[in-house]
Amino acid sequence: MNFASAAIEILSALTTAANLFVIAAGLSLVFGALRIINLAHGSFYMIGALLMASLFALGRPGVLFWPALLLAPLLTAGFGAVLERLLFRRIYRAEHLVQLLLSYALSLILADLALRLWGADSRTVPPPAALAGRLSVGGAGFPLYDLFVIALALAVGLGLWALLHRTRFGWEIRAAVEDPEGLSLCGRNVPALFTAVFALGAFLAALGGAAVAPLQAIGPGMDSSILVSAFIVTVIGGLGSIAGAALGAAVIGFVQAMGTLWLPTWAPAFIFLAMILVLVIRPSGLMGAPARAWSEEE
Amino acid sequence: MATRARLGVGFALLLLIAAPWVLPTAWLLVLENALVLALFAAATNLLVGWTGLVSFGQAAFYGIGAYTVALAWLHGIAPFWLAFPAAPLIAGLVALLTGAIALRARKLYFALLTLAFSELFYVLAEQLYDITNGANGIFGAMVPDLLVSPRPGFYFTLAVVTAALALLHRICHSPFGLALQAIRERRVRAEALGLAVAHHELAAFTLSGAFCGLAGALYVVHDQTAYPELLDWVKSGEPVIVAVIGGISSFAGPLWGALFYQIAHDALVVLTRDWQLVLGALLLLVVLFRPGGIVSLFPGREEG
Repeated sequence: MNFASAAIEILSALTTAANLFVIAAGLSLVFGALRIINLAHGSFYMIGALLMASLFALGRPGVLFWPALLLAPLLTAGFGAVLERLLFRRIYRAEHLVQLLLSYALSLILADLALRLWGADSRTVPPPAALAGRLSVGGAGFPLYDLFVIALALAVGLGLWALLHRTRFGWEIRAAVEDPEGLSLCGRNVPALFTAVFALGAFLAALGGAAVAPLQAIGPGMDSSILVSAFIVTVIGGLGSIAGAALGAAVIGFVQAMGTLWLPTWAPAFIFLAMILVLVIRPSGLMGAPARAWSEEE
Repeated sequence: MATRARLGVGFALLLLIAAPWVLPTAWLLVLENALVLALFAAATNLLVGWTGLVSFGQAAFYGIGAYTVALAWLHGIAPFWLAFPAAPLIAGLVALLTGAIALRARKLYFALLTLAFSELFYVLAEQLYDITNGANGIFGAMVPDLLVSPRPGFYFTLAVVTAALALLHRICHSPFGLALQAIRERRVRAEALGLAVAHHELAAFTLSGAFCGLAGALYVVHDQTAYPELLDWVKSGEPVIVAVIGGISSFAGPLWGALFYQIAHDALVVLTRDWQLVLGALLLLVVLFRPGGIVSLFPGREEG
């Protein structure tokens, strides 16, 4: 393998990692604020991608790419808010087993409904004309759309940081993580805040799904394949930590790139080995805080 | 066991012994599947319901049990009658090793570590093409002819499952089983009282893995095939779901759950494409409104 194709392989792994970060950030945000494990997070990703494909197909080829990229995650976020009101709200303080099974049940239902609504065929969405080309650097042609996905992930990371640390909304979320009752006593509407956080998590999953549409075929089964990857990233980084999600995505991107370069057949096994290794050395992930008092036993 | 429960078990056994002479072959195979699933779910419930350890990785041991029988045949390592009893031993050994690592983490992280191990073994089964035939799986005449015909096959499965469940029942209601329940209820207090919590958890994990491996070996008797999806996390979720639907706080819960799940699955798959939707909705209702599962619907049922 020469230098140019190696560089393209690495860029492709970085793109996967960048997109995984966007999805994992949503998972981590929801866990950090609401303390729930959402196994239906992959379903939001799939719904985002499917909505993207459907909205895109409404207009003449290429015209609706940017509106669809924004609208698909927004619609999914609205759907997420409804599910939070109806279901997730009931299980914030339930055992992990209840949370895992409720969200798993939901993912089964959503997978079936998506199959009903969109069918079993996979769809494709071409990248917009402006990003369809390649950027030539030193004899290697890097796909522009890959660079866009990486830039989008950076923007999401910065945006989330600013949201959590520079706005009133972020201040309230962090306060709710520390002490929901206290915040409630201060007159804040904590349930509405939680709905908003859950919707934001769904938005991020769907944004990841919509952004990945030009890179792969869109169809059923996307939900469970991404879920395991997103969980690995979040767990390696430390559940609840956005910076951890970025670090976890970087670790997985690196392991995957090295794996594909040298031992392609073993690349998937390396990812699980990386997760096992990290958890054995640091049981709460690289940047995760030990579990909060009231989520512990006794 | 209370007299009523004894009578119930005896009656159920009589029904099962009569089944091959009453049921059509198709339904006999459904029942055989349900028996294997019942063992798989009861073994998983030793962790989930009894010890309070939520494992999403028991398919690893189920799959290892299945692959033990299949690989022994494929490579001519051992005859079936040697490979079959070896399956739970090998699965138990692997459970001992992975449990020693996974049990370092607690609660949610434990669940995710077991899930990672399950996926790791799944990837290994798929990638070690020269040994396992990869994603194609292994199929062929790996089971003695006698066990392939429906009636002897059913009686063999029934005998093994009954013996294994009797053993599991003994374990669950022994002082060891009570200690596991103490760990589930108050881990710190159990430790303070001088219980070797870590050793008990590892022993439970190993035992559960061995019984899951036995269930996997029985799966091969039933289907004469082994393939990588027997080890993945979706398969790992199955015994947990079955146990929860049946009720995790009693020994009988997972057994009822398995019977219900298998019959509902096999009946619905024929009728509709929406099996997943029905299962999801059912699970949702159980989790939200009937956390005790099916057994909690029976009035005045004693535990055990």
